[in-house]
Amino acid sequence: MKSIRMRVNGQPVEREVPDHRLLVDFIRYDLGLTGAKEGCSVGVCGACTVLLNGQPVSSCLALAVMADGGEVTTIEGLAEGERLHPLQQAFIDYGGFQCGICTPGQIMASKALLDANPHPSAEQIKEWMMGNLCRCTGYYKIIEAIQAAAAGKTGP
Amino acid sequence: MEKASMESPHSIGQPAGHVEGPAKVTGRARYSADIALPGMLWGQALRSPFPHARIVSIDVTAARGVPGVHAVISAADLPDVRIGRFLRDIPVLARDRVRFIGEKVVAVAAETPDAAEEALGLVEVEYEELPAVFDPIAAMSPDAPRIHEHPEKYEHPPIPPIGGESRYHPFANVCSQNIYRRGDLERGMAAAERTFEHSFVVPPVHQGYIEPHACAAVIAPDGKIDIWISNKTPFIARRQLAAAFGVPEERVRVNPTAIGGDFGGKGSLMDAALCYFIARASRRPVKMVMNYTEELTAGNPRHAALITLRTGVTRDGAITGHRAKLIFNCGAYGAFIPLHFLHGGVHAATGPYRVPNLEIEALRVYTNTVPRGHFRSPGAPQTTFAIESHMDMIAHGLGIDPLEFRLRNVLVDGDESPMGERFRHIRCRETLSAAADTAAWSSPKPPNVGRGIGIYERAPGAFGTSGATLTLDRDSKLTLLTGAADTGTGSFTVLAQVVAEELQAPLGDVIVCQGDTDTAEWEEGAGGSRLTHMAGRATLTAAGEVKRELIALAARHFNCAAEQVEMRARRFIASDGRELDWDALLAWAAEHEALPLTRSGSFVASGHPEVTCYAAQVAEVEVDRETGQVRVRRIVTAHDVGTIINPLTHQGQIEGGMVQGLGQAMSEHLLVRDGSVTTAHLGDYKLPTAMDIPELTTVLVESLTGPGPFAGKAIGELSNVSPPAAIANAVFDAVGVRLTELPITAEKVYRELRAMERGK
Repeated sequence: MKSIRMRVNGQPVEREVPDHRLLVDFIRYDLGLTGAKEGCSVGVCGACTVLLNGQPVSSCLALAVMADGGEVTTIEGLAEGERLHPLQQAFIDYGGFQCGICTPGQIMASKALLDANPHPSAEQIKEWMMGNLCRCTGYYKIIEAIQAAAAGKTGP
Repeated sequence: MEKASMESPHSIGQPAGHVEGPAKVTGRARYSADIALPGMLWGQALRSPFPHARIVSIDVTAARGVPGVHAVISAADLPDVRIGRFLRDIPVLARDRVRFIGEKVVAVAAETPDAAEEALGLVEVEYEELPAVFDPIAAMSPDAPRIHEHPEKYEHPPIPPIGGESRYHPFANVCSQNIYRRGDLERGMAAAERTFEHSFVVPPVHQGYIEPHACAAVIAPDGKIDIWISNKTPFIARRQLAAAFGVPEERVRVNPTAIGGDFGGKGSLMDAALCYFIARASRRPVKMVMNYTEELTAGNPRHAALITLRTGVTRDGAITGHRAKLIFNCGAYGAFIPLHFLHGGVHAATGPYRVPNLEIEALRVYTNTVPRGHFRSPGAPQTTFAIESHMDMIAHGLGIDPLEFRLRNVLVDGDESPMGERFRHIRCRETLSAAADTAAWSSPKPPNVGRGIGIYERAPGAFGTSGATLTLDRDSKLTLLTGAADTGTGSFTVLAQVVAEELQAPLGDVIVCQGDTDTAEWEEGAGGSRLTHMAGRATLTAAGEVKRELIALAARHFNCAAEQVEMRARRFIASDGRELDWDALLAWAAEHEALPLTRSGSFVASGHPEVTCYAAQVAEVEVDRETGQVRVRRIVTAHDVGTIINPLTHQGQIEGGMVQGLGQAMSEHLLVRDGSVTTAHLGDYKLPTAMDIPELTTVLVESLTGPGPFAGKAIGELSNVSPPAAIANAVFDAVGVRLTELPITAEKVYRELRAMERGK
């Protein structure tokens, strides 16, 4: 067991975890933040994407202890109260999700993209987002949603 | 419970975002794997490492001793029941025999996944391997090992009359056999001037939803069983579960959850029956979450198919006769489809063409491989790849342009379809032409670039019963209670739009609430492109009843007959000119204790719909002659549509479906070697990524003729079917390579290119 401390969505968290506790299990089951989803469990689908110190990580491949001392942002930390983050609103307005299972990961990955590159081209979006699989949308509307959020468009 | 965010007097035709959008983009939406119940244990299953073996003994003593383990069960602890969506041939846990690698043999419930895993590692199962058979042709030979000893004893509902002969278990390892005949095939073939025969191989593909199956079960002290399950048809799940548990249906309550993608794969119970039995054994709530390796190796992927088509034609390209033999590998069990055979595969075996004389034989064959299920337009992508490639090959053989050949043969108004349907307003030619025109079919192409076309027809789903209950409250809110689950298509939003339109209400006033199976009206659920049509019609009826009651209330207020009042733009207008607006009527009604007001609607299918839907697609590809690499440059997808209730979600269905078809065409192959799925994670099983999508142009061929609410048609299972054929045909057009086996990999194209060079 290891004692770890971190900030999760701005809140301080302190827990005892087994050394091999995965970050995704820690977030979902120890902290009860079930927004991050476990899809493939091998770092391919991106459904479990969270930000660790601002960088997107597959939380199914990371250990909870790797976040010790760090700052974790999950989908639950994006909206301010009832006010959605522009990316969240754009995913609704532009049809950037259907079933929604990959959506927390898509939005966290696209937030990291826009933090790094506020005005990406469609090609740059595709390249950045290729690690986030979506089986429902065929990606067209995800790309549109990210472009719209980047352009500051609030409605379709 | 979700609230729509858009305010609009006309809801139909508005591109409204999902009403459950805020829950889904904030992580609040609760999926089955997110369920947490007090005292909940983790369930896990030990699976067979052998494709076919006798279970000699199972020793769970050591497993039961692991700290934190509350139950370890095998078939000996269960009633001898089998489950299934139609045919009931799959045991909850393997009894005496395992029939595929991945079949569940033992289950545990433990306080942590680690303890469950440790316990499973200590279970000792002694197997005696049996000869196995993986290939459906080999499985049908009389000396093949029998996978099921007494299949005739399996239960199933009566086989519905669908035309043709249907038989269960007619001979060795055949789960079902259907033979459909029309006209006189022998005479048709004798009348042919040319005869073409081709065979096609379609390997299995997985639905690829990102949410693996999950479920949870808890048994209350009074015996009530609560289930959460990633399942698109909660009422049908309840029926199957009650049968498996041996309890009346009302004892089981299936609770709503968000569903993380379905595409046909989430109609099966998967672990839910087992979850109940380990909850019963452990006397604790239990959750089971499959991992993706379990999904790929032991889920219910699409049937593999071996298809042989033989078609007679005249020199000018008229079809005189057609024989199709469809051999579907259904794996070790037939339980994962809701019918006795892949109706959609049979239906698509002729394409939308005039075929006067035909015989279709469809077989579902047991093999010692992962059981197969339904996947978006079940059966149709397999046979459409075959028929639409075959039509191209015939056209080229006759020296006729493939588009022209199709246009000469497609059904037009007045024709009876090969399956004996009589459709009105057939839009097949228009849809084909729209796709071809938009793709500039006949325009010049650069070298190594080719165009191919494919077409598919599917009618809106018309089966089962749908129900809806609508309550109008004093505060003007309209709450729709539905038993339908939303698999991600945006069905709640569409139903909300139907209510808003009928009652001229802002969409934001409509709240859609998915009830559990105790509270909602019976609902057949999502599947077969039926939901917008049937739940939409039930909802429209309920909304119409509320409207009728409001008009009656207005008439009471005006002291006139209801026939003398109409509702227009949220105002109630009497024939003598008196008016009352919506809010005033509601205030008056509330005073007179007429609110809240609740009305129900139901809709029952009555035979096949009178109109159908077409999708025609043109693919443009570029082939690298050095490497065989195929790049899909562009897809044009043309759709014969009715009133589009929600353009945003409608287009989402088109785009998502097309990319699934692209995946099946280009990269997806659930590889099964000696009964073992070797593409056992999503790194090896290649779903399309954002980098793989081509330029997409959608063309809508509109007409107000659909059977759905406000003349809507279906869209969900149309765009994913013909991409493999269109792309294969385009590859032939580009470089002369004809692939009759999916997927279209660079390796296969490369081999054919080199073989062609050697042959020169």
